[in-house]
Amino acid sequence: MAEELVFIPGRWDITYNYAAGKVSSKFFAELRDNKRLMGIKCSRCGRVMMPPRGFCERCFAPAGEWVEVGPEGTIQAFTITVEKFEGNPDPPFAVAYVQLDGADTAMLNYVRGLDFSDLNRAAESLRVGTRVRVVYKEQRAGEVTDFEYELV
Amino acid sequence: MTRRVAIVGIAQTRLETEKPDQILDEVIFEAASKALADAGIGREEVDSITIAAADQIDGRPISSMLEACPAGAYLKDEIKTTEEGSYAAILASLRIMSGVFDSALVVSWSKCSEVPVTRVSNYGAEPFFHRPFGLNYITTTGFMVNAYRAKYGLPEMAAAKVVVKNRGNALNNPLACYQTPVSTEEVLSSRIVAWPVRAMDMAPLCDGACALVLASEERARGMVQPPVWIQGMGWATETYYLGERDLSRLTSLEVAARRAYAMAGVTNPLRELDVAEIHDIADYHELMAYEALGLCPWGQAARLMEEGVTEMGGRLPVNPSGGALSGSPFFATGLVRLAEAALQVRGDAGRRQVKGAKRALAHGSYGFCGQGNSVFILGE
Ligand SMILES: [Zn+2]
Repeated sequence: MAEELVFIPGRWDITYNYAAGKVSSKFFAELRDNKRLMGIKCSRCGRVMMPPRGFCERCFAPAGEWVEVGPEGTIQAFTITVEKFEGNPDPPFAVAYVQLDGADTAMLNYVRGLDFSDLNRAAESLRVGTRVRVVYKEQRAGEVTDFEYELV
Repeated sequence: MTRRVAIVGIAQTRLETEKPDQILDEVIFEAASKALADAGIGREEVDSITIAAADQIDGRPISSMLEACPAGAYLKDEIKTTEEGSYAAILASLRIMSGVFDSALVVSWSKCSEVPVTRVSNYGAEPFFHRPFGLNYITTTGFMVNAYRAKYGLPEMAAAKVVVKNRGNALNNPLACYQTPVSTEEVLSSRIVAWPVRAMDMAPLCDGACALVLASEERARGMVQPPVWIQGMGWATETYYLGERDLSRLTSLEVAARRAYAMAGVTNPLRELDVAEIHDIADYHELMAYEALGLCPWGQAARLMEEGVTEMGGRLPVNPSGGALSGSPFFATGLVRLAEAALQVRGDAGRRQVKGAKRALAHGSYGFCGQGNSVFILGE
């Protein structure tokens, strides 16, 4: 006779309240209130970082002035998620790292308005090097999903 | 000159899709006690314990509170790394090299059957700019492959051949989780999960643990197993921010390899290495690792694969064990690579033995798109 093996279900249920800090908070406020995307320049190497951070990891120097970037940019990497993963939006959905004009690094967001009926064709339209533009949502909450990309 | 470190005990549990007959503690105990037995010593003869595990996979914060003693630490030294299994071996080696300790038990594990690891991986996305986009170790592989594709084309067939090679090799590994061969047609017709990455491109997760016993040169003398020397070690980490990286190459692996090669005196890895165990999180990771490890020029990994160089019987067999593509105990997978490389050098790899292997490379990796990487060079 087979031995009975017991399983005990478990779950972590912990609420966090992550502080965005001054730099990210300014980015989110500009996005929500002024529909502007602001990058930040490293005080040493001068590269414009998107998303903005208080310092440059490479130079290990504080960030300096704010620079408005966009509203268009170039896809550097993308994927279309087809599988349903726990906690994810329902697939299919496309996300891309876009280097916005005036920035030196690429920022992640959804690419909207794609037809996923032919997956390969949708992927082809997102090819690295493709130009996209920023679209702001009507209702903005001061978070990264207040904007998304669409093909130019 | 720092003290030399040898691997003198090697053990793994059988890798399985699930281990419902053992609680995690027992899986860890099995690997740790088998490694001690392989080294021919008792727990009382080991003076340091270094472990590597992921709290979220183990299902409890600071999981070492519970799992240190199953790993052998009762009233002993114990320290934990949280990058990936191979990093426990790095830390243990450094502790022996320092002269503070003479021996080490290194243990890593995962019971992936108990938790959706993609969900754990998704929580690895920082909350402000990355969390809402469905990132996990599979979807981020999509970014990497598309960046590679833009530069060199999509090595879809070569990637499928990596899976066929590794799953074929696993037929010789009684510890592997999946010991059934697959065809390129099966790989290339498996469903797409994150374009263009297919289900069979990704290493299937499983349960298991791995343990090694390390010793200083003096301590290694007179032990039952012939010492496998750690001739070189290198490790490096890239930025977390994928939008700042060149995702078409594994830059931190290139840096780690350069350091390990310099320490071991390796100048031409393809000629001077006999076997390699690469952390193939996906078949594409293995291909991109060929380039970062200097086995071929950038963009030439598909050709290296097509030429059969990394097949059993090729110039440099890669993953004779079957690799992670034949079953990955997620967090312990890099330590399994090191254990397999050590078995090869010791001549104890059974039917998967590369004949006459004297020098082996082992690779560990963690983070989105191979953010951090470790490289070991082992020799007789
Ligand atoms: Zn800088």
